[in-house]
Amino acid sequence: MGKPKRKHPDLEEILARPWCYYCERDFDDLKILINHQKAKHFKCERCGRRLNTAGGLSVHMTQVHKESLASIENALPNRAGLDVEIFGMEGIPEDIVTAHQQRVIGQFAQAEAERRAATGNAGPGASGAGAVKKPKFESPSDLKKRLAEHKAKKAAEQAAGISSGDATPIGAGYGGQSPGQGQNSNVFNQGSPGYQQGQMQYGPPPNTATYPSFQQPYGQQPGSFQQQPPNFTQQQQPGSFSQAPPGFGSPGMPPQFPNSQQYGPPHQFNQQGPGFSPPFQNGPPRPFNSASPPPFQQNQFQPPRTHTPPQNGIPSRPTNLPPAPGLPQRPSVSAPPVNAFQMQQLHQGQILASSNPSDAQIVAQDLTEQPAQPTASSADASAIDDLISGVTNNVNNVEAAPADRKEEKKAAKKDKDKSTKLIYSDNDISPEEKMAQLPRYAYVPSAN
Amino acid sequence: MSNPQTELTSPPSDAISSIQFAPASLRLLVASWDKSVYLYDTTEAGGRLLRTYEHRAPVLDVCFGEGDEEAFTGGLDWAVRRLDLDSGAQTTLSVHEKGVKCVVYSSAHKLLVSASWDSTLHIHHPQSPSQTPATVTLPSKPFSLSLTATKLVVAMASRALHIYDLAQLASDSAARAQIASSGEYPVLSVEPWQRRESSLKFMTRAVACMPNDAGYASGSIEGRVSVEWFDPSDTSQARKYAFKCHRQPSPEGVDVVYPVNALAFHPVHGTFASGGGDGFVALWDGVAKRRIRQYQKYAASVAALSFSGDGKYLAVAISPGFEDGKEGETEGAVSVFVRELGANEAKGKGLK
Repeated sequence: MGKPKRKHPDLEEILARPWCYYCERDFDDLKILINHQKAKHFKCERCGRRLNTAGGLSVHMTQVHKESLASIENALPNRAGLDVEIFGMEGIPEDIVTAHQQRVIGQFAQAEAERRAATGNAGPGASGAGAVKKPKFESPSDLKKRLAEHKAKKAAEQAAGISSGDATPIGAGYGGQSPGQGQNSNVFNQGSPGYQQGQMQYGPPPNTATYPSFQQPYGQQPGSFQQQPPNFTQQQQPGSFSQAPPGFGSPGMPPQFPNSQQYGPPHQFNQQGPGFSPPFQNGPPRPFNSASPPPFQQNQFQPPRTHTPPQNGIPSRPTNLPPAPGLPQRPSVSAPPVNAFQMQQLHQGQILASSNPSDAQIVAQDLTEQPAQPTASSADASAIDDLISGVTNNVNNVEAAPADRKEEKKAAKKDKDKSTKLIYSDNDISPEEKMAQLPRYAYVPSAN
Repeated sequence: MSNPQTELTSPPSDAISSIQFAPASLRLLVASWDKSVYLYDTTEAGGRLLRTYEHRAPVLDVCFGEGDEEAFTGGLDWAVRRLDLDSGAQTTLSVHEKGVKCVVYSSAHKLLVSASWDSTLHIHHPQSPSQTPATVTLPSKPFSLSLTATKLVVAMASRALHIYDLAQLASDSAARAQIASSGEYPVLSVEPWQRRESSLKFMTRAVACMPNDAGYASGSIEGRVSVEWFDPSDTSQARKYAFKCHRQPSPEGVDVVYPVNALAFHPVHGTFASGGGDGFVALWDGVAKRRIRQYQKYAASVAALSFSGDGKYLAVAISPGFEDGKEGETEGAVSVFVRELGANEAKGKGLK
């Protein structure tokens, strides 16, 4: 999964690649080419010594091994001669250079044509972006229709907004959890429009910190998140943490994450430990501890720092806040900035326990609704999920089914090899048995 | 020696089926379809033919027994014989119901195993000639045998492959032989230590065991060699692999695939040599999965290979290949080459 796929090189790049006179292979740079030649063509088959040129090898063979070098190893049939002195790209006859370029150009053109046929795109480096991009155009009526839909949606959201906050994915959901959430959620929505996005992205980055192996995928995600995480952790810590940690905190967690959307939480845990802890200690944690209202304010303040404040985690805590004194410990607990799902689970437990049943119910509803949101709302998140699952799948495959892969590979190779001809193709009777049937080898036991 | 390779001056008159170096000297036994076994001394260039041993029918395999003076042969006259190389005396040890394809001798267990196209193995105890050999029934025709100090690998038709525990074979067959003393060979019902299906999709031509008793290599008629390990654990089995070799691209762009006729492990370095119908001999490092070197093409198909006991020489037997469409032809070089290996010539380079 590592690097993004390399773009198709353009013709100049291909033509500029050094290539080997003897086998027509091309290489990334001259050093590699020279190494290739030393290893493949100028290596003494008697002692393994790598010479720099064919002449050198020839002299070596005669002087050291008293043998004469007849041809260059591993060379194309018509290039195996010793008459040309080749070193890297030096010494290649002009006509062969031209022929090679012609061939490369031909191949390039063909590959490009195929690519175009396959993708419908103009090849890069080709005769420019020949094809004009289709202008994205919506007819006025379409636009109006969309606007209407949008407005309707907004209205619906507002109507439902206070209670459930469908529109406001994460923030709303969280808000529901805490008793005072109604207010909170509103505040959040207003205050931090960018929130949701931030959260989505969040999840992944944290992961990188915690799980070394997965870091790359996550690491790709925007750096901005890192700031946010602190807030989340803080908020969550007060209330939900105690419960959450068991599941998430356990060592076994990492593997599980890849599969589930729950990533977010795990990440947060991680975050809390290293970089986030400072933020907590400072302002955020304390405010929470106090009454719920303060948290909001804090949240608002926080916006500058991170988008996280919106997270409802805060609201819920308020209920738990009384216990908040434990906050200092959070770092170790690593509060899960849980995804909607996890949040639900965690919070539900807490909520139920909480004094306000009604709140709990609301929360539950919100949560259930939320789960879907994360994926839908943030393409980033889903992309990350893909990355994660891809990585984990890879890992699984490598561990679990190397044999299968081999088989597949073999099968693939077999297919490629269709144009083979067996010299001896009888799969049931060995050559010796056939020979034994020849009259001159016949042996009749009774003859003895 | 300016040229590392010498050709034996008086080769057999017909195709070669098997060659084997003596365990402790540079004597070389060559079995041929001309109904003879040849014994050479290869210490001098060109080799010296010490003796020939006439048989009634083409000889398909030969192996040294205990010491350099004893040999065993199997051939198309269905018989397994003991050869006293000094006196030339032949003793028939057992008679199969079809030609005997392979004979191998385990000096660790003093056991001679012969494999015949009648789908049986005969287990002999040459040290106690009065014992009747025991018979082990195989599911298919055996094509190749190879053994280590503790294991016997039998490669058969239908891609079957059995691995027997030699100690068990030895004790069981000894016990059975004492019970049954009639003319019939007592049938031994021995469970193979492992039953495997060849990882190659085509007929197995040759198997050879690693000298360190860890596994074996097998080659098929479809220019492919697989390397596998005895250890049944998943980690060991995951290490097995196969690779293509002995193929030549033809002018029409079709890969011409030659059978892998011979495999032999180097007794010291643990690398192995493969000989193919294309006339090439290649040295491989089975652990590093690398080809160490490939020698100049021989004039005919490589029929058999053998490393000397000290690993300093490699004997290569070439014979006209028995190929599709050329079944009747025998013209072509029949020859044995003995190649002196440089100190590190057959040594793996190790993993990079």
